[in-house]
Amino acid sequence: MRILLVEDDADLGPAIARALRAEHFAVDLATDGIDGAHLGETELFDAAVLDLGLPGKDGVTVLGEWRRAGRTMPVLILTAREAWSDKVAGFKAGADDYMVKPFRVEELVMRLRALVRRAAGHAAARVTCGPLAFETQTGQFELDGMPLKLTAFEWRVLSALMLRKEAVIERLDLLERVYEGDADVDSNSLEVIVGRLRRKIGATMIETVRGRGYRLTASVAA
Amino acid sequence: MILRAPRSMQGRLFALSLLATLVALLIAAWGIAGVLERFVVAGIDQRLDAEIALLASAVDGDGRIDRTRIEARRGVMQSGGGWRWRIETPRGAMGSTDLPALADGPPGPPGLHGPRDDRRDGPDGPDGEPRAIDGQTEQGVRLHARRYTIATAAGPVTITAAAPRRVIARPIRDAIVPLLIVLAMLGIVLTLAAWVQLRLGLRPLRQLQGAVAAIRAGRADRVDEDQPTELRPLAAELNALAADNEAALASARMAAANLAHALKTPVATLALAVRDDPERARQVARIDATIRHHLGRARDGHAGARVVTPLAPAVAALVHVVERLHAGRDVTIDAAIPADLAVRLDAHDLDEIVGNLIDNAARHAKSAVRIVAAREDRMVRLSVIDDGPGIAAADRQRATDPGVRLDERGDGHGFGLAIVRDLVALHGGGLSLDEAPGGGLAVTVTIPAALS
Repeated sequence: MRILLVEDDADLGPAIARALRAEHFAVDLATDGIDGAHLGETELFDAAVLDLGLPGKDGVTVLGEWRRAGRTMPVLILTAREAWSDKVAGFKAGADDYMVKPFRVEELVMRLRALVRRAAGHAAARVTCGPLAFETQTGQFELDGMPLKLTAFEWRVLSALMLRKEAVIERLDLLERVYEGDADVDSNSLEVIVGRLRRKIGATMIETVRGRGYRLTASVAA
Repeated sequence: MILRAPRSMQGRLFALSLLATLVALLIAAWGIAGVLERFVVAGIDQRLDAEIALLASAVDGDGRIDRTRIEARRGVMQSGGGWRWRIETPRGAMGSTDLPALADGPPGPPGLHGPRDDRRDGPDGPDGEPRAIDGQTEQGVRLHARRYTIATAAGPVTITAAAPRRVIARPIRDAIVPLLIVLAMLGIVLTLAAWVQLRLGLRPLRQLQGAVAAIRAGRADRVDEDQPTELRPLAAELNALAADNEAALASARMAAANLAHALKTPVATLALAVRDDPERARQVARIDATIRHHLGRARDGHAGARVVTPLAPAVAALVHVVERLHAGRDVTIDAAIPADLAVRLDAHDLDEIVGNLIDNAARHAKSAVRIVAAREDRMVRLSVIDDGPGIAAADRQRATDPGVRLDERGDGHGFGLAIVRDLVALHGGGLSLDEAPGGGLAVTVTIPAALS
């Protein structure tokens, strides 16, 4: 799961990014409205965390531009503006959630996971695929009822596949959701991660669709 | 009894003009009466002097009286009804018998009470000029007399002619009654004129007062400076004061809001840093609550009284927001707001009140929140009802007491309710907490309705 974080505060931005990365998220941090608008329009994110009071371009304007450009990723507004009128304006501009500073980072993480899960079309918090289960509220994977230990990269790949289970994910699409924008991506590294995942959950669940990408499926395993 | 000056300017000015009118009328009455008396007396004096001249012509150089001459002229002279005359010579007297007492002159003879000489000349008067004597006979008839002394070989001869005082008093009395009536009418007219003048003259002041009241009520932000010359500087000063006040208030609110905003991000960072230390996290939460409270207060009260905000669309937008905020919870929010209801509250304050109420309810509800509203006289009564655990009766009571910090409860009901309570109080409404039929909490606020 790759998150776009648009926050201009020099202390708070990196602190949130660290907290999200500790929960396995890939995080791209933009520190002003212009960069944020550009990143959101040009790159693929599972969700965005958007401050409202931004230099360069106001958060509500940024959000409007994303929506007009056809970007549908869930957006969580994280702001000091706590007035209900601001909340109404934020949701009218196309926000999906709204949190007021100061906030508990656990709640931010939980809300982000829920937003990404709902955006993928899952109403229930627990997503299952054969013997594999994804508890979206805690971010925990289980295999046959046993907790599955994953690295951050493994978690990002598996959660992306899990949320779109039984469907093919384009390779480039998957790459974008796994690596932060400034990461030095070795074209083979995705295959390495998928290989490690196959060793953990069984070789057949992640199917390679030649020339296109990957698919997580329960049908072969069953 | 102490007579106090009236408190009202109009009363003072009116009392003053009433007093001035009264004094002026009294002086006029006194002056006119005086002039009138002088005229009447002068007329009588002429007649008496003519009589004296007639009598004097009957006295020869030796002091003898030519009686036949007097008898011949008797018909011409006034007599009876108090008119009298008398000639006194060293050799004898002639004329009215009840006049000798008068004739004795100023040193206070018997029968003459309070002799009065209203002429400037001496007791005997200069030659050829009779002098006036006022007195009273022993029978109590008041007289106005003229006396003339002729020097003869035999000694001085005194001729006195007298008229009853009432012939002077009667014409004066006859004239003074209509005069007083005219003066009284004049007084009434002047009083009415003063009253009308004061009403008209003070009207710009009353209008100015109304204009200032309108500023205070928020119906206007300045007074009309098109005023009478004397009030124009006052109107200009009032406008300058109102503008200063507005600017000071706006800058104070801005400063408070800026301070609160500026503090929020560091507090957020701090909260993130201390989240593993419950005690410090609680302290940071307290700082946060305080900042929110004062930020909320800084926003309070900027609404003018003129705004009208339709209720149903505002509630619908807020319901949508709260549904998204509590997307993880399976709570349905139903609003039944008549489409024609509107409130006299700016949209920001309405959002603040209703948003907090719905948010609280959604946070505590088991499965459903209901929002109902109805017009009640000049207020709109809006209730938000949840099916959650509710609040104990004692705490419900406490929550509506002014000055109680609701955020001390720490269960999330508190802070939002404190804002709502302060806001509705600011707009002249009220907040009440009741037990919902199902056991949940029903929060009801009354807010001013926009009267169509």
